[in-house]
Amino acid sequence: MSAPYLGILLTAAVVGLFASAPAAVLARRIGYGIALASSLLLLAVAIATLATGPVHGIAWTGPLGDPESLQLDGLSAFFALAASLVWTATSAYSIFYDDRRSPGLAVCYGLTLGAIALLVSASSFLLFLIGWEIMTLASYGMILQATGRGDRIFSAAFVFLAFGEASTLLVLIAVAAFHVLSGGFLEGPVSGAGALTSLVFVAALLGFGLKMGVAPFHLSEWLPIAHSSAPSNASAVLSSTLTLAGAYGLFRVVSDLGSPPAWWGGLMLAIGAISVLLGALFASVSEHTKGLPAYSTIENNGLILVALGVALLAEANGLTELAVFALFAAFFQAIAHAVAKTALFLSAGYVEHATGTFDLSAVAGGAKRSDPGETEGTLVAALSLAAAPPLAGFVSEWMILESLFQSYRFSSPEAQFLGLLAGAAVALAAGLIVVAMVKFVGFALLWKPSPGATAPRAAGLGTTVGAVGGILVGLGVGAPWILKGVAPGVAAFAHAAVTAPVSGLLAVPDGWSIVSGSPFGILSPPVVPIAIGLASVVAWGYFRLGGGRRTRTVEPWMAGSAPGRPGETYTSFGYSTGIRIMLRSILRTREVRASVGPVTEAGLATPVPYNVDLEVLDVFKLFYDDLVAATAAVSDAFKVAIMPGRLGRYLAYILLVTLAVVVYVAVAA
Amino acid sequence: MTRAGWEVEAGDDGPVEDGKRALAYRADDGALALYNDYDRGRSILRTPKIPGTWSVRTAPAPGAHPLAAAAEVAGYGTFTFPYGPISAGVPEAGKFEVRTYGERVLGLVPVGGFKTRSVATSVLGLPVADAGLRVERMAGNLSASHVSAFLAAAESAEGRPVPTAELYVRALAQELQRLYNHVRQIARVAEAAAQNVGLAQVHALGEEILRLQGSVFGHRWMFGALLPGGPARRVDAADRDRLEHALGGIGAEFDVLWSLLLESRTFVDRLQSTAPLSKESAIASGAVGPTLRASGVGWDDRLRAPTPPYTDLFVSLPNETAGDALARILVRGAEIQASLVILEQLFDRWPTEESITEPAESPVGPGRGIARVEAPNGDLVYDVTVADGRVRRLQFRSPSAANWPAFAASMQDAVFTDFHFAFESFGLVFAETDG
Repeated sequence: MSAPYLGILLTAAVVGLFASAPAAVLARRIGYGIALASSLLLLAVAIATLATGPVHGIAWTGPLGDPESLQLDGLSAFFALAASLVWTATSAYSIFYDDRRSPGLAVCYGLTLGAIALLVSASSFLLFLIGWEIMTLASYGMILQATGRGDRIFSAAFVFLAFGEASTLLVLIAVAAFHVLSGGFLEGPVSGAGALTSLVFVAALLGFGLKMGVAPFHLSEWLPIAHSSAPSNASAVLSSTLTLAGAYGLFRVVSDLGSPPAWWGGLMLAIGAISVLLGALFASVSEHTKGLPAYSTIENNGLILVALGVALLAEANGLTELAVFALFAAFFQAIAHAVAKTALFLSAGYVEHATGTFDLSAVAGGAKRSDPGETEGTLVAALSLAAAPPLAGFVSEWMILESLFQSYRFSSPEAQFLGLLAGAAVALAAGLIVVAMVKFVGFALLWKPSPGATAPRAAGLGTTVGAVGGILVGLGVGAPWILKGVAPGVAAFAHAAVTAPVSGLLAVPDGWSIVSGSPFGILSPPVVPIAIGLASVVAWGYFRLGGGRRTRTVEPWMAGSAPGRPGETYTSFGYSTGIRIMLRSILRTREVRASVGPVTEAGLATPVPYNVDLEVLDVFKLFYDDLVAATAAVSDAFKVAIMPGRLGRYLAYILLVTLAVVVYVAVAA
Repeated sequence: MTRAGWEVEAGDDGPVEDGKRALAYRADDGALALYNDYDRGRSILRTPKIPGTWSVRTAPAPGAHPLAAAAEVAGYGTFTFPYGPISAGVPEAGKFEVRTYGERVLGLVPVGGFKTRSVATSVLGLPVADAGLRVERMAGNLSASHVSAFLAAAESAEGRPVPTAELYVRALAQELQRLYNHVRQIARVAEAAAQNVGLAQVHALGEEILRLQGSVFGHRWMFGALLPGGPARRVDAADRDRLEHALGGIGAEFDVLWSLLLESRTFVDRLQSTAPLSKESAIASGAVGPTLRASGVGWDDRLRAPTPPYTDLFVSLPNETAGDALARILVRGAEIQASLVILEQLFDRWPTEESITEPAESPVGPGRGIARVEAPNGDLVYDVTVADGRVRRLQFRSPSAANWPAFAASMQDAVFTDFHFAFESFGLVFAETDG
């Protein structure tokens, strides 16, 4: 049991996050300042919780007579840690970023943070639901603060709200079923397996999956962020921590449901694998500085589901060691993604600040920015998301693939085959996401600016991005120790004592390596940078002391033409057209040509001038468009049938419905 | 001036309204234009109005777009991908500007002018034999065709009779060079398809032909061999025997290689339906030579506008209808076999008199002559005015110049990786385009 003052600090952190909203009305910077301080406080409490044990904050009796309290156990402390890490960065960033006249963004920002903190530290599902709903509404408010075309913002925000409320509905069902199972709302393990448990699981998977933006609900993730070009601090909070809240909800419910049947894990693995592939694919062809990271979020949340799915499958197959390893992978993936994605969105905001565009093809060619930290931070974040060693994303990707490699241990051939397919999907996505990240870095950062263009300086923004990049390096290199710190979280999830899969091998000291299986695979994240560093020192020394090579600066060779003529550089669109064409059956690539202007010259080698557009299509968007059309048609028919303006028919309908309810209640009782 | 099957109209550079007699190639720099009416088997040569008697085609500046205008393609993410003028794939200095949104070719503009030596201007005022030395250096691998066409035009301008034996020597040189060019083009395509063994063997065959040319004509590219006073008299009975024997071996070896190449699925697959050119667009874009014949139009100057000795020879007309890179290569392969048959006929009918023209002692009347020759890559036309034994005006329309628009048209909607297969199947030469 930890010190009671930690409970007070936890309460203070949650209250402080909420309080930043009214404070923002006075002055935006005060609001963001309070949010920053409260996030740091929450971070400290979360770390203390992981180190010392559960923390209990303020407690009271709820409206239904239920005991309610704020508390953190290992599981919630881990998610609070990840979220508050992100918020610390976004709040500091917002102080420099948000220069709007109205405090609307800052208020909604504070409310969203407070709501997420509330739902993470809630001791009961009732309080969780309250936090969940405030989060949805406040995020809706943040998206409405976007700049751009009013109708697009509104429709994007509306899509977000529609998916958000659908999610709330499903979570409500899950909580109601949970209430029937346990007789209360308190979070904690329930026993028994049956149809009701499975109902809780499926409703939770779909409800929280909606918020995580996994397939087939990925529209809820990318569309509001990309289409409305939501403010960048809001995008970071949405993509990194709102989806994290979904993951937390799923972890919490699954953790409380006890021993899972094998098909739960299988379902989760399948949804995760599809999301991973779709997210990576669409990220690689995205042209939007925020759409690309938003799609990558779908991929990463899919990876969390894959890892959790493997853990559940392993648990069902009695493979405790593999289950624990996969859980560690899922936890680490959650935090690695949240931090890296924050840096990417903050960088997108920086690019927007400097170039005034979200269009990757338009960004390259504008003014180049030179604030310290920005390029480095973004590079590190993109490398981490592309799973490059020794960064955090690499460690989590490695752990997830290691888990999938061990799917041969499953007893049923179906589960083995599913693991095989999921492994292939994850590996394929890992390749595709490299394309996406190279594109983001190449076209948002590393281009050669057109001469004369100058960018406004935005030092504070760049520094924040750089700092987040530093955290990512730390997370990756220190992964074995981070995993040890995460162990209480995994233990709280599994309701059992666990040890981190960390040891030593060969010359690597004990505790420096991550080991899967016993041992199946081994990776030492700290040794990678040491090896890279040593090799660099050798190379540096050779060139420095040997003096044999000198740096020669030359103009890029353009096959004999003068380089750098306008219109002769590769566009970001062109960079991924190969994927558009190769995977046209999945992407539904379509070329639209429209001729422009009259034909003046009859020269036969001179085709008519035309406009060309290569469009890709998300088949799921088609599905939702059809769904919307069908719903509209059905409700229209309903309206015409029931309410054609004749009172008699309407009254008859009301009577019939009332009768049906009475009969149902009578039979059910 | 009317020749067998084709007529010449001078002094008109207005547009041609008749859709069938489409513009073959026209730039704004005063080049010749040749209109082919394949239905009536007629061609009309139009020489542009040239201000001043001595003015000829001027050299285009590098970087300009003298060859063909590109489609103005706009749209999200489109850009111009510059390829060349110095590149690993194209053996000459020449540039292509590819309009694309990545991967797919939306429009292609060949940009010439990097190899301009202004041959047509530099020969003005030179005696015919000296001018020929420069004309044959227009493009080494097409020297025999260029110099034969030039000499025929000059002789027609002067009204000079040419001994049959000399015409036979020119035909011999042209057919040998046709063999070499087609073999070279097949090797290039094999290289693009990474058929390395085939590439090496076909290249070796090409080298054998070059050496044969060197041993008979004294120069690998036959430079100087066909000119008045040149060493053409060396083609004696012993030479012909040697040639006949060597060509028999080359033909047998080529047949084996050719069947092996066509049996390779990777080779054929890569060419099939690559850079297709329909019959209509081949005619419309003014394509000539094997390109035209691969698209289903049976036109060959050796048949349609023959000059001696082709008037007396059997010339077969290989034809394909698919119009893709494979069809163009198949036509070339078949023409190699056809040329071997022509060469056999040449040796069989070789004239007994071995006299060779000497340079004219007294210049014959000034005049203008037009000659047309089927070069390995298509229809080549020379328009020469000679006075006092010296070249006073020279214009030519090279087959490459005629084929660029067809190449650009065939590349529409191709992908980048199709480029080399398409380019090599057309057999385009920047050197003779730039002049």
